[in-house]
Amino acid sequence: MTTTKRIATDVGGTFTDLVAIETGPEGMKITTAKSDTTPPNFETGVLNVMAKGGIDPKDVDFMVHGTTVVINALTERKGVTVGLITTEGFRDTIEIARGNRPDFFNLHYEKPEPFVPRYLRTEVPGRMTYLGTERIPLDLSGVSDIVTHFRAEGVQAVAISLLHSYANTAHEEAVLAEVQRLWPDVSIVASHQITREWREYERSNTAVLSAYVQPVAARYLGNLDDSLRAQGLPQSPYIMQSNCGVDSLAATSAVPITMVESGPASGFWGAAELGKLIDEPDILALDIGGTTAKCSLIEGGEVRIMTDYWIERSRKSAGYPIMVPVVDLVEIGNGGGSIAWVDDFDKLHVGPQSAGALPGPAAYGKGGTNATTTDANLWLGRINKDYFCGGAIDADMDSAGNALKAIGDKLGVSTDEAAQGIVRIANNNMVNALKLVSLNRGHDTRDFTLLAFGGGGAMHAVALGQELQVKKVVVPAAASVFSAWGMMMSDLRRDYFVTQLADLSEGSAMGIEGVFAKAEAEARATFKAEGVDPAKLTFLRYGKFRYQNQEHTTEVLLDGTVTDGALSKIADDFHGAYEREYTYRLDAPVEMVGIHLVARAEVGKLEMVPAPLGDADASVAVKGTRDVDYALEGKHSATIYDGEKLRAGMAFNGPAIIEDPGTTVVIHPNNTVSIDAYHNIHILLEGQS
Amino acid sequence: MSDPITLEIIQNSLQATSDEMFAAMRKTAMSSIIYEVLDMGTGITDAQGRIASSGAGIPAFIGVLDKSVQFILSKFGDDIRPNDVFITNDPWHGGVTHLNDLVLAMPVFADGAIIAWTANIAHNSDVGGMAPGSLSGDATEIFQEGLRLPAVKLIREGVTDQAVMDIITCNSRMPDFLLGDVWAAIAAVRIGAKRLEELSAKYTPSTFKAAMDSFMDFGEKTARAELAKLPKGTFELSEPQDDGRIYNVKITITDDEFIVDLRDNPDQDVGCTNTSRDGTIVCAQMLFKSVTDPDTPANEGSFRPLKVLTTEGTVFHAKEPAAIGFYFETEVRVYDLIWRCMAPHVPERLPAGHFSSICGTFVGGIHPDTGRQYTIIEPQIGGWGAWEGRDGNPCIFSGFHGETYNTPAEISEARNGLFIDRIALNTAPGGEGEFNGGRGLVLEYRIRTQSGFLTAGYTRSVVKPWSLNGGEEGSGNFVEVDKVTGETEHYAFVSGLGLTTDDVVRVITSSGAGFGDPKKRDPKAVEMDIKNGFVTRDRAREIHGYEEASK
Repeated sequence: MTTTKRIATDVGGTFTDLVAIETGPEGMKITTAKSDTTPPNFETGVLNVMAKGGIDPKDVDFMVHGTTVVINALTERKGVTVGLITTEGFRDTIEIARGNRPDFFNLHYEKPEPFVPRYLRTEVPGRMTYLGTERIPLDLSGVSDIVTHFRAEGVQAVAISLLHSYANTAHEEAVLAEVQRLWPDVSIVASHQITREWREYERSNTAVLSAYVQPVAARYLGNLDDSLRAQGLPQSPYIMQSNCGVDSLAATSAVPITMVESGPASGFWGAAELGKLIDEPDILALDIGGTTAKCSLIEGGEVRIMTDYWIERSRKSAGYPIMVPVVDLVEIGNGGGSIAWVDDFDKLHVGPQSAGALPGPAAYGKGGTNATTTDANLWLGRINKDYFCGGAIDADMDSAGNALKAIGDKLGVSTDEAAQGIVRIANNNMVNALKLVSLNRGHDTRDFTLLAFGGGGAMHAVALGQELQVKKVVVPAAASVFSAWGMMMSDLRRDYFVTQLADLSEGSAMGIEGVFAKAEAEARATFKAEGVDPAKLTFLRYGKFRYQNQEHTTEVLLDGTVTDGALSKIADDFHGAYEREYTYRLDAPVEMVGIHLVARAEVGKLEMVPAPLGDADASVAVKGTRDVDYALEGKHSATIYDGEKLRAGMAFNGPAIIEDPGTTVVIHPNNTVSIDAYHNIHILLEGQS
Repeated sequence: MSDPITLEIIQNSLQATSDEMFAAMRKTAMSSIIYEVLDMGTGITDAQGRIASSGAGIPAFIGVLDKSVQFILSKFGDDIRPNDVFITNDPWHGGVTHLNDLVLAMPVFADGAIIAWTANIAHNSDVGGMAPGSLSGDATEIFQEGLRLPAVKLIREGVTDQAVMDIITCNSRMPDFLLGDVWAAIAAVRIGAKRLEELSAKYTPSTFKAAMDSFMDFGEKTARAELAKLPKGTFELSEPQDDGRIYNVKITITDDEFIVDLRDNPDQDVGCTNTSRDGTIVCAQMLFKSVTDPDTPANEGSFRPLKVLTTEGTVFHAKEPAAIGFYFETEVRVYDLIWRCMAPHVPERLPAGHFSSICGTFVGGIHPDTGRQYTIIEPQIGGWGAWEGRDGNPCIFSGFHGETYNTPAEISEARNGLFIDRIALNTAPGGEGEFNGGRGLVLEYRIRTQSGFLTAGYTRSVVKPWSLNGGEEGSGNFVEVDKVTGETEHYAFVSGLGLTTDDVVRVITSSGAGFGDPKKRDPKAVEMDIKNGFVTRDRAREIHGYEEASK
């Protein structure tokens, strides 16, 4: 058995992280390292962190890279000047948007500005119908003037989005070719290259935002690749995507917008993979970081991928749609650094403002005076004040106490009660987020395992799990770098969404099968062009169905070739899925609105090696005891365990705390804990076995 | 366990439940007016029918559900059982708006007593009556506007009353849509009721009740704190309408009351532009919320300082059996009247006038590809007014609608079998100021089959959106029809106009009004307006006194 070295690097706003996993005859060796992010030459930070982790690029067999470059360029408005070419009569589509006013009592609401001003939005005559037939021929005679205008105005990237291009791409392709002929070196994208779904505002905005970040991302990825290859990396890194898969560096450079939500995606993919590994395919995954908590539901080992993704959307703003495959997640402004505050009417809130890394929680002693969730957890003894941040920071308990007391004074309660209140409010916010992805969609949380990761996940997981009555709570090994682990478990994956209306009646199967077959052929060609062994390629076929006249669809997994004989089973599956989510079914015709094809192939995925289960006695890992305030369950003397000394097979009971350099696991009274063969921590709640 | 944290947690959960009901209904509805336009609302009331929490959607629907529940309580008294579901649509039986809007309400029980209600309201595509879509500008009595449901049980202790269901569907021109939409509404109230039962079981019914009470008291406290900051006195406004009638409002603000006096107004309309008193109250509530506390969710407490005075038999307090189909245009008028009256006194919260019409547009006919009947029922988007320091928003829904979405051209062409020739910003002159009003809309439907129809009812067509501090008024709302025969017709109100192949219906909505003297507009901003094609160079010279910088 030879040694294989896989690494994942993740460029965040502040830090660039590295996780390296070496598998060989001696089992598995995990190395982690952290280094500063180095804008604008991000590749320097990547090389730095590899050097720090003792990784020579020449020895790396497989590398995955995750980056926030796209989402940062969007939210910080650091993309390029974009010119838009659209269908005659529709140049204002991206400014008109959908017209909604989410903040409806606020008459000073400010509608989000389009990313392309009106003078850079141009039109070409020509029309397709929704059936994909040509109604008015395309007239390219004006494109030359458009290109001249764009050049004169300093346009750096061109987006093309024509009406009904999801149904027929010919007009968009022709405009694309004409612009490229006139202006060969311009960065350009047509909407059909990103999505084949209807809704012209969403699709046009997607093309525009993709064009907006394209040159930035291409430069980033190009520099990264060049410098890594110059250092001897044998094969270009794969790039983490928002759909929980990885994609090749070349494909990502062409349409980088697919990276937009790649950060959370890797963690949720890790959750799905870990679920399969420990035979818990139904997972509620929760990732709590410094400023936000994110959650997603995994059923039968499959993440749910949707194309209804928006940035900057909230109760206060309509935001901007990006119609790319993104893991279905709910994100709330509640993390370890979230600030607790009392409003003018004596109501306690937690988040969404965060103390960030600077000044950070009051206990950092860096001048922060606001109480955060972390301060409350410290005060209640849930976090060890003598082992704060893995011992890296001396907890400033006076500052934490003062900050919490200020909250307590405003509420008229003690400092302890204020700290309990903060933890309870934060937990409630997270419970509501978890309900959004589970109960609200007809899933019974009692059938699910709560998997908690990120720096703060394990601190709150048991309380949340008890509230939701989940099957059990699992905290993965190395929970704080779980996302990077997820990257190494990812497949090369592409999600194809195609809008195609079809009845579910006798004779329609062939048409539906044809849409799948065409998408599969496209996928095969793309994978083949990248040198992927066709035998490794697998497909998942989902149909998007609804009752006739409805709009929103329910996805149903299809089994094998679509034949007329299979249609009634498909309809039955739809009725069942629909009823589970919405409590009733109708005796109405069912129609298909489109397909969702998942194409994936394993590329150097990590194989996990189980360790033999040892003795259940965990006393070697005990560090001592301390009083811990469990909020609703009161104060208890908890046994403290050193997470690094826990071994496969060990078991013990709560109340307890497990301390790891990256995270703290809070075990409540009446919980029972066991360590599995992969060093994951399984926590059974009261009354469970 | 009624500590403040527990109360807060219950309140957050009420909001989450309202939102969950909204999401469930949206995803399952059959009619585009519900799932796309989101002409719907969801809410939770306490046992007495006081609104405790509401989902996203339409602000104009938030104050409706409590009135419905209160009517049901007074009508049924002790005859309310677990798993009952009630339905009403009649403004004189707790329905508030018009017959298209079906309200469903379900009591939530704990230990044998009602602890709350879940309810929703949605615009159904057709409930019978004299015209397709049930709305006709020609109606003179409510009987012509559809089936009246005077608050009845649709489901008795979990068992659907098939007779009621059959009567409702039999009276609709679109029974399949109606049935699907009603089931979506039933599912939503049931999901909400289940969540509230769980919540009450977890925290005890008395704590649950205490949380609702404290939430409403919080709403009142917020409203009163903001009321204290408003200027005191009586403010009056008389405003001519497109049809020549004069509407009047007197607003008196004291230390603890906000009184909207609408008693001095014209007799109710012989046609259908009337509203119920309950509807008028909803409008006053919306504006009151916007001038006091637009940031926190609304509940019964938010409106406690508000008092509304009306005279029965007037347009704002129509007597049975007045026709009421176009109630929304009357409501948006009284809403805008209150807004305009207060705007000079609360400039930090109120911009200049917006297009301020629902611009309800109904286009129907036969889909040429499927042979099925289609009906478009759409409110339109338009320009909003400017305020000190900022140009108005282009093309968003009126103050009446909120989390409402327009229909994409691609979906409309597929669903309705017509062509959308254009969806563009309306660059007609109007709304200029130091800060410009936002642009309205131009939307063109090209009809593909014979025997189509158009019904529309727009206001702010003659009397334009009002400006502030010397800005220009907005451009006005109207509909044009380019007949295939060559002539162009111009309408504000039209009922059942025949359409045929290649006729083009052009919806044109107003710009918002300007704020401040147009001559004071920053020349750099004017240059950008010219560059973007929002104003011609000539118009810029004339209205802004713009002179090109010598280069």
